[in-house]
Amino acid sequence: MRKITAVFLTVFMMGVLSACGSRAEEPASRQIYAMDTVMMVNAYGKSGEAAVEETEQTLYQLEALLSRTQEKSQVSALNRSAGEPVELDEELEQLIETAADYTHATGGAFDITIAPVADAWGFTTDHQRVPNQAELQALLERVGMEHVHLKNGTGMVDAGTEIDLGGIAKGYASDRVAQIYAANDVPRGMVYLGGNVLAWGDRPDGTPWRVGIQDPAAPENPEALVGVLQLRDAFAITSGGYQRFFEENGKRYHHILNPETGCPAESGLTSVTVVADKTDGNGTMCDALSTALFIMGEERALDYWRAHAGAFDLVLVTKDGRVVVTEGLAGRFTAAEGGAYSYETVS
Amino acid sequence: MKRFPELKPNGWDMMVLAVVVVLGIVLSLGWMSAETDRLTAKISVDGVETEAVNLPQLRQEEERTIQANGYTLYLVLSQKGVQVRESDCPTQDCVHTGIITRAGQSIVCLPARVTVQLQGTVAEDGVDAVLG
Amino acid sequence: MKLTTKQLTLCAMLTAMALALSYVENFLPLSLAIPIPGIKLGLANIVTVFALYALGPGQALLILLARSLLGAVFAGNMNALIFSLLGGLAALAVEIFLSRLPRLSIYGVSVGGAASHNCGQVAAAVLTLGNTAPLYYLPVLLWVSGFTGALTGLLAAGLFRCLAHTNLMKE
Repeated sequence: MRKITAVFLTVFMMGVLSACGSRAEEPASRQIYAMDTVMMVNAYGKSGEAAVEETEQTLYQLEALLSRTQEKSQVSALNRSAGEPVELDEELEQLIETAADYTHATGGAFDITIAPVADAWGFTTDHQRVPNQAELQALLERVGMEHVHLKNGTGMVDAGTEIDLGGIAKGYASDRVAQIYAANDVPRGMVYLGGNVLAWGDRPDGTPWRVGIQDPAAPENPEALVGVLQLRDAFAITSGGYQRFFEENGKRYHHILNPETGCPAESGLTSVTVVADKTDGNGTMCDALSTALFIMGEERALDYWRAHAGAFDLVLVTKDGRVVVTEGLAGRFTAAEGGAYSYETVS
Repeated sequence: MKRFPELKPNGWDMMVLAVVVVLGIVLSLGWMSAETDRLTAKISVDGVETEAVNLPQLRQEEERTIQANGYTLYLVLSQKGVQVRESDCPTQDCVHTGIITRAGQSIVCLPARVTVQLQGTVAEDGVDAVLG
Repeated sequence: MKLTTKQLTLCAMLTAMALALSYVENFLPLSLAIPIPGIKLGLANIVTVFALYALGPGQALLILLARSLLGAVFAGNMNALIFSLLGGLAALAVEIFLSRLPRLSIYGVSVGGAASHNCGQVAAAVLTLGNTAPLYYLPVLLWVSGFTGALTGLLAAGLFRCLAHTNLMKE
């Protein structure tokens, strides 16, 4: 009897336990090379596989539409238009209009027509150099959204003007992924589009996704973080001068160009992180603003943040070793321990 | 009154208690081993997984030579983590990344389209992604 | 099931007592140690154990259902119903089985009930949260149930000793 009881009890308990559910689920995940970067996409839940599949197809389609390096893309056709209107997809037209809105809102700090200047610096190729002042002046003549004309599903650019949606395309792509995840009822997932993060839902253990912010002073060390964001249903992206740069005669030149001067922005910031909730359009906003606010510098960035209360939050890293966190992130940002930075929260 | 219960605890009750406690111990051991054993290095070329290596089970350092898209990478895997020791790619980002040791970290070689991702349960103070 | 007036009255009283115990539980901060929303110690199991012996499995089940339903209505959320139903039913099922074993005392029955109560609650947490994270707390909860089970066993045994010679215990 003793034995039978023990065996029965054990079996019963095991039954109750197995009814408690299976071990941690595995997400459907995919690596996608598109838009000149690597994208890591994962999605949990029953429809996870369908969602990542749809995401992959969408990312390829977007690349084919928005790429400046693929000859067949509509953006390339537009850049060759030189005064002759070409037909544009509604999606592309709307994205260019959105870009124009951000150019306007940021006082010209965000500008998709800076592309020819970036070419002159060689940031789009492997041959980087410092262009001379006369060359920059000539190129800057052709920079500005007034050289881009959209009308009734067609578009054209003035001769010498080119657009590059690189500063907004991945953010826009993250918005599209969010739409796909919502349509597929994906409960949770982590989407990493070459630096643009979409933290969908929460982690499998029910806590928020943990997203680190790279220390701009040690860009290659994966352990060196300024701090960690706890994100749930949020977009986040970081822009920093450390991401791409070259050195000439002992001076460092990075890839974030100020449309006003045509030169790398010297704003006193080393990185800008923009965080916003999963509202449609916020992925695009985060991408555009991270570049623009980096160019605008700490003071103007915080002014812009105050003027758009509640729409997004910021983590600014300054050259003089401070980390400035806006108050909406209070409780969602953990400073790195033992780092060299001093931290402040602003309101 | 249907039945009057036995009111004094005896050895049989202790057995029930023992079963419950032992079950808790067995489960917690199971949970713990499941957690530490799961650190897996997933090597992918062109987005397709070519190999998954369970790091805690490695007896000694192992090497992999990966040729992809015209480049060659030398990978070193150990219980500690994964590292690209050498690469002939132009950017050298993958080499500069150094050793990755924790779930959630990854090495990316964009020119060769090779990635190494460490997967497993992300530690409480670990991160799922890094911005920048 | 036909109930005599005495049985019905007893059932109603026990339901009220169980509800009161569920309420008192809110002040015991189990959720501080184990961060699963909705999880409870299961003190109301005293009533289940008592009813099982005094009134039989049928009426114990009635009391359990009434207590769970009313508790959820008072708490104003249906998740509470899932937690107390799954926890309570698992506990009752195990207690019915254990109480039929010849030598087990009320202590063993209570401990088994408490352990399955917590298993049921973890199952409820997995269902309502949609993820398997609560499973990690199961070992701790099982150990906790060793104590709560012994405690409810002690209280239930005390109850029977006090009531042994009253006419409440007579058919």
